Amino acid sequence: MDPAALAYLAAGLGAGISAVGAAIGIGRLASSSMDGAARQPEAAGDIRGLMIVSAGLIEGVALFALIICLLLVLFV
Amino acid sequence: MIGRVRPLRIVALLVLGMSLALPAAPAKAADGELTLEGIVNNTILGHAEDGYYLNLKPFAQVELPRIMLVRTADGALTLEAYGSTKGLLQNGPYGLAAHGDEGEGHAGPITASAALAEAIEAKEHLHSTAVRTSGEVVADLSISRHLIFGLLAMLIVLGAFIALAQRYKKEHDRPEAPQGIFQNMMEVLVVFVRDEIAKPNIPDGKWRTFLPYLLTAFFFILVANILGLVPFAGAATSNIAVTGVMAIMTFSIVLLYGSSDYYKELLTGPPDAPVLIRIILVPIEIIGLVMRHLALAIRLFANMMGGSLIIFSLIGLVFMMNVIMGEAAAWSTTVISIGFTVFILLLKLLVAFIQAYVFTILSALFIGMAVEEHHPGGEESEPDVGLDGRVEDRLDAVEDKMEDRVQPTTA
Repeated sequence: MDPAALAYLAAGLGAGISAVGAAIGIGRLASSSMDGAARQPEAAGDIRGLMIVSAGLIEGVALFALIICLLLVLFV
Repeated sequence: MIGRVRPLRIVALLVLGMSLALPAAPAKAADGELTLEGIVNNTILGHAEDGYYLNLKPFAQVELPRIMLVRTADGALTLEAYGSTKGLLQNGPYGLAAHGDEGEGHAGPITASAALAEAIEAKEHLHSTAVRTSGEVVADLSISRHLIFGLLAMLIVLGAFIALAQRYKKEHDRPEAPQGIFQNMMEVLVVFVRDEIAKPNIPDGKWRTFLPYLLTAFFFILVANILGLVPFAGAATSNIAVTGVMAIMTFSIVLLYGSSDYYKELLTGPPDAPVLIRIILVPIEIIGLVMRHLALAIRLFANMMGGSLIIFSLIGLVFMMNVIMGEAAAWSTTVISIGFTVFILLLKLLVAFIQAYVFTILSALFIGMAVEEHHPGGEESEPDVGLDGRVEDRLDAVEDKMEDRVQPTTA
């Protein structure tokens, strides 16, 4: 098989899988922070701040993967 | 709620979405045909990436000066300056290499003047790399689009805050409530950074030392991000060099202001850990320290880059449809594209704030972890400072400690 074709395939698959991973992470994060906020509405502000920070961290990992995919596409 | 949104505002949003399409209209290839590859390289990637021109299409396209530090064939270091990329190619010993042509095995760069004129006519020179035909380029110090908009963001922040500081100059505490939209808005943001970002994350009142840095980072990132949403402009933060330097600043603050406790724990592992575990943990801690700050740079860069890539991809879809399926399909795609572009623009406005917040709060968190000192007065050192008269207390403390240690094994 053509190595360039494999690289494009890897980039596409990698982007998809990293999106799945990030979606699972952020989904779990959002569900439990909503649980927390519903159980203790007075802590909703703190929970929101923590949620944004952890979402940023999870997203960072997914974006690492996306950058690798982008490099695969651009520099084959 | 929906009924209250005036049609005028929707029209304004749509115009904003369409105005992004203006500079993105693709340059035609040399033979006047649009190609899919040309659209991807020039329209989508060319606009999302850094470049040596300001794209004000359909009004103008301003090429920026090129400054090259070169080592000529006879080994002398010289600084060469040209007014534009066009001038660089026409007057200097430079040739044009197409995308992905820099490696070996390809045809050499275009150097013949007729071929160069043709490439310049097709705006090819804006999206390709200029390579030197004799000698080598040591450093490319050219003024690029991201540099211009980074400096613009800096000037806006400087102007806004110098004007703001004038109002607080006379009294140490401001004498009356903030007046006007500008002062109210900025004070809310500054107080937000102080109370929500700096104070909770940096312990022992040391936040005062680092608040200026955090405020600078927050507002520079915010303004640069929002500049990326302005048609014809670009986000300086969608350049890995810019975000990398900002992460290096946070990293050097962590290294310079790190407390001795922090360094001890970083270099010798956690206290009370066996030697074998320390040998494993110390490299992990050090790699983690570097990766944390690397992730700080990559997160901001990838978010901003991703946003502009999405917008230009949506707009590029129109031109792709024109190539693949003809004009009618392109017109109908326009409607969908512009709608989605407006949606993504609104999302990017949110992301602009969130990323500025995330960068600043993570910087504050890392700095807070580094400057934190372990106070003497914890459960271990307290008996040691006790005087002879407090033997009873010390005995009690020892007994407590014995109980603490025994309990986990029995449980």
